[in-house]
Amino acid sequence: MTHVSIKELTKVYPGATIPSLDRLSLEIPTGELTALLGPSGCGKTTTMKMIAGLLEPTSGDVTFDGRSVLRDKPEDRGVVMVFQNYLLFPYMSVADNVGFGLKMRKKDPAEIKRRVGEMLELVKLPDLGDRKPSALSGGQQQRVALARALIVQPNVLLLDEPLSNLDAHLRFEMRDLIRSLQQEMGITTIFVTHDQEEAVVLADRVALILDGQMKQYDRADVFYKRPIDEATARFFGGHNFIPGTSDGHVFDCALGKLSLPEGATTGAGKLTFRPENVRIGTAADGQNCLTSTIADVIYLGTQTRLKLRVGDTALDAVVNPNEIESYAVGDTLPIHLPRATLWVI
Amino acid sequence: MEVGHLSDRTKIFLLLLPAMFIIVVLFFGGLMIGLMRSFNYMPVIGLTEPDLSAYISVFTDREFYLSFLLTFHIAFTSTVISSILAIGAALLLRRSFVGRGIVNFLFQLNLTVPHLVGAIGMLYLFSQSGSFARLAHEFGMIARPSDFPALVFDPYAIGIILQYVWKEIPFIGVIVLANMQSIGEDYESVARSLGASKWQTFRYVLLPLIFPGVLSASVMVFAFTFGAYEIPAILGANFPAALPVLAYRKYTDVDLAARPEAMAMAIVIALLSAVMIYFYVRYSRRRIRG
Repeated sequence: MTHVSIKELTKVYPGATIPSLDRLSLEIPTGELTALLGPSGCGKTTTMKMIAGLLEPTSGDVTFDGRSVLRDKPEDRGVVMVFQNYLLFPYMSVADNVGFGLKMRKKDPAEIKRRVGEMLELVKLPDLGDRKPSALSGGQQQRVALARALIVQPNVLLLDEPLSNLDAHLRFEMRDLIRSLQQEMGITTIFVTHDQEEAVVLADRVALILDGQMKQYDRADVFYKRPIDEATARFFGGHNFIPGTSDGHVFDCALGKLSLPEGATTGAGKLTFRPENVRIGTAADGQNCLTSTIADVIYLGTQTRLKLRVGDTALDAVVNPNEIESYAVGDTLPIHLPRATLWVI
Repeated sequence: MEVGHLSDRTKIFLLLLPAMFIIVVLFFGGLMIGLMRSFNYMPVIGLTEPDLSAYISVFTDREFYLSFLLTFHIAFTSTVISSILAIGAALLLRRSFVGRGIVNFLFQLNLTVPHLVGAIGMLYLFSQSGSFARLAHEFGMIARPSDFPALVFDPYAIGIILQYVWKEIPFIGVIVLANMQSIGEDYESVARSLGASKWQTFRYVLLPLIFPGVLSASVMVFAFTFGAYEIPAILGANFPAALPVLAYRKYTDVDLAARPEAMAMAIVIALLSAVMIYFYVRYSRRRIRG
């Protein structure tokens, strides 16, 4: 039950001129699951290590429930970090790995044994206590690493790319396990990932970090609907950016005059909309209708990606494969852009 | 089988042949001849009745036991001290600090100095007529240079151990350092974040991880220091002498009858060090990783 505050956290590694992390501020409410999202080398893992006390910040502060923890030793912070490659101690059995934190706290061996048993039950590996980590699959190793972290009942749990080493079918299983354990125990959890899908699937909130700076900190859906800038939108798979000017109601650009939703920014900017929000056919209210030519059709199984042209402007659309079965490259395709799905950046 | 299409097993066998030849013919061959001589069996000079007389006289000689204790003391103490100091040095050297490259170079420098040269250096520095004795006398710390504590030719083999420690720290240290670097620091980070103190992290995580490296390096040091001749010959007391020195003396004795005894002693040295290494490996593995 810990509210984590990160204030202007900065890290410049010795010999480096550019900070690896530049004045990052973040509030993580008690019991929430927050993702730090960004490409490799953007300062995510650096942030985690500073929260865990494994790395000293150049400046800034980290507080738990309002109290600065920078002077606390890593072992006294109540923060446990689970690394991407699990790092199970190879010479110990699974049970000894899980019980490690309790052994370091000099708990009674009988109690350790009991709690290790409970923990292995919780991560659904009740019979593997005697094995060596090398005899486990990747997914099992990850669950052991999670059990080893949770057994010490941390105030804050840090996960480094928790799903990225797993097969597609294991990802959802692991996601459910992490979420259910986290909710049950109410542990404030921060995880880092470079994979926006992983962030969206797992987190209550996402902090996007690009080039050592925080771009946006919001609930996951906001990144799709109202990205703060083009880089953010692109990171989340946005493709359509059309320059023009907005008067707050109408966006004037190469596609024509398009009607904007309430609250759109004014002045010169770029119009963006998700490829999956491009609709085929004309709108009932006649708004934002366009005539496009199909430049390419990429069949992706459950969906089809279309490269469209409207005049000289290229657009990306993602549609249901059934909707365009009768169309081919070169055909004319009427489309419309629902007003509520447009966003000016 | 067609020529030119050798099976993998045959190829491996052929490739290993030169090394096997050296091991089998030179090493085991020498060992066999030594073994035969130790049993007083040497058909060339008419000794065709093997017996145990050489072993009996080795094991009934009080000097042998004193020599064994001394040799064990030398090998064990040198191995333990140099392993501990080497781990400490590796812990310091793996950190990044200004001038680390130079320190690292200096640390490994004496790897290139032959044992013999090192021993003579020890003699110059630590003997009662050596540099330190004279300096101590010069500064009035001792009345005569010969009052300097006996660090060479001494009954506790301090000079020998000093020499071995000086020489073996970088040897073990380089192996351990490489080992630590390949392991990285992430395991220790995990341990710290799970609540282990610095000492616990070293004791329960880093030490077990580097243990195989430390073990193989220290076994080599132990076997070497237990069986080496030249350092105890130069820096050791006359009585009791280290086992290899004793064996060599018997071997070069004017009395040719002492030769089987020398061989018996050499065989015993080899067996003892094998047995001790076995127990050392077993015991320490249980202590560190259990």
